[in-house]
Amino acid sequence: MSDKSFRRELNAAMDEMTAAPSPALRDRVRASLAEAAPERRGPFWIAGLVAAAIAVTIIGVLFVANPGNRHPVSVPAGSTGPSPTPTAQPTATAFTCSTNPISASSPSTAVIPIDALRTGAHPGYDRLTVEFAGGEPSSTTAQPQSGTTFTLSPSGQPVTLAGQNGILITLHGTDLHTDYQGPLDIVTGYTGLVEVRRVQDFEGVVQLALGVNGPVCFQASSLTNPTRLVIDVQAG
Amino acid sequence: MSAAFVMERRPELMSRAAHGDSSSFASLIEPLLDPAFRLAAVMLEDRSAAEDAVQEASIKAWRKIRQLRGDVASLRPWFLSIVANECRMTRRRRWWSVVRMAEVPPESDSTEQTAGAMSTDLRRALIQLAPSDRVPLVLHFYLDLPLDEVARALGVSPSAAKSRIYRAARRLRSNLTLEEVF
Repeated sequence: MSDKSFRRELNAAMDEMTAAPSPALRDRVRASLAEAAPERRGPFWIAGLVAAAIAVTIIGVLFVANPGNRHPVSVPAGSTGPSPTPTAQPTATAFTCSTNPISASSPSTAVIPIDALRTGAHPGYDRLTVEFAGGEPSSTTAQPQSGTTFTLSPSGQPVTLAGQNGILITLHGTDLHTDYQGPLDIVTGYTGLVEVRRVQDFEGVVQLALGVNGPVCFQASSLTNPTRLVIDVQAG
Repeated sequence: MSAAFVMERRPELMSRAAHGDSSSFASLIEPLLDPAFRLAAVMLEDRSAAEDAVQEASIKAWRKIRQLRGDVASLRPWFLSIVANECRMTRRRRWWSVVRMAEVPPESDSTEQTAGAMSTDLRRALIQLAPSDRVPLVLHFYLDLPLDEVARALGVSPSAAKSRIYRAARRLRSNLTLEEVF
């Protein structure tokens, strides 16, 4: 086989796997870049000292408190057990989702601050990304509900979001005030996920209310480095 | 903004990006989104996941832009190496997986996907390759990157990159000679 024919066949095989990215990718990237900030550079000797101090502290804490690796979080009893991680689908009609409550927990005991909330519109679904600063929350639940009226905590006051139905995300072992500096009420303007609002940030428990257009149909998954919770809501 | 215009203005855009202008950085990497997506799609075998990986890689690249120190020539291999890392990350086991599926995808969908995925021997062999072997093949054959850029994207020397390309190609076609690959 000649180089040309191998190259041609290989490229044809790769063509079958790729095609062109969706036209929306460029806008998605631009939007996410506008929300993120580049790392700041301070005086190098200070950075070096701080890095060394942090490294020594982390190594010490890990050595004393948790010599083993962290374990994957188990899904609590009563659920059907871990399912395959949801695969984002190429078209709106292929979006596969749940209408049931979901939950997961972690052995983590520390309070891990949330440092970013991001939303994005994708073909067939809208996405909320919750980014954590250096670990995962101790437990996570996502509870779909009829209507978009939620209860603010600790005030007990009702609040109504945009949309017809909602999802309440409850995160234990985290907070939204240490690192996070963005808006606490995000009105997206998307077709599926229309609003995200903090309804509790108190004693290590954060609740995020999601306003959704139409019936609730969503996926949840996680990404690492940095640790992120990803909620995908079906969009019309 | 046209690709030629971006190429001409790359040093200026790089300088602005290094000073925190996200729009300039977006203009710089826009011509790279297509090759980045193709790399990610081959690594992840999922176009939607590939777009997510490219988006995440773009954010990471933006956060690390100062690592480049204005070196425009290194932008492409540097960005592609971040995309490849993001894809590796995506493939790793997630710390939790929580979905209780209310609806099981129809059997016919997966059957069709499988049939499509196995449409050629070469594609089947490609899918069976480890991701670490796919990357040099995509960079060299599919994206047509020069050897030194492949090396920089892989974080190895040019001779090591050449070796990895050849080794991966031989895993697809065991009778290939070095001359047929390069």
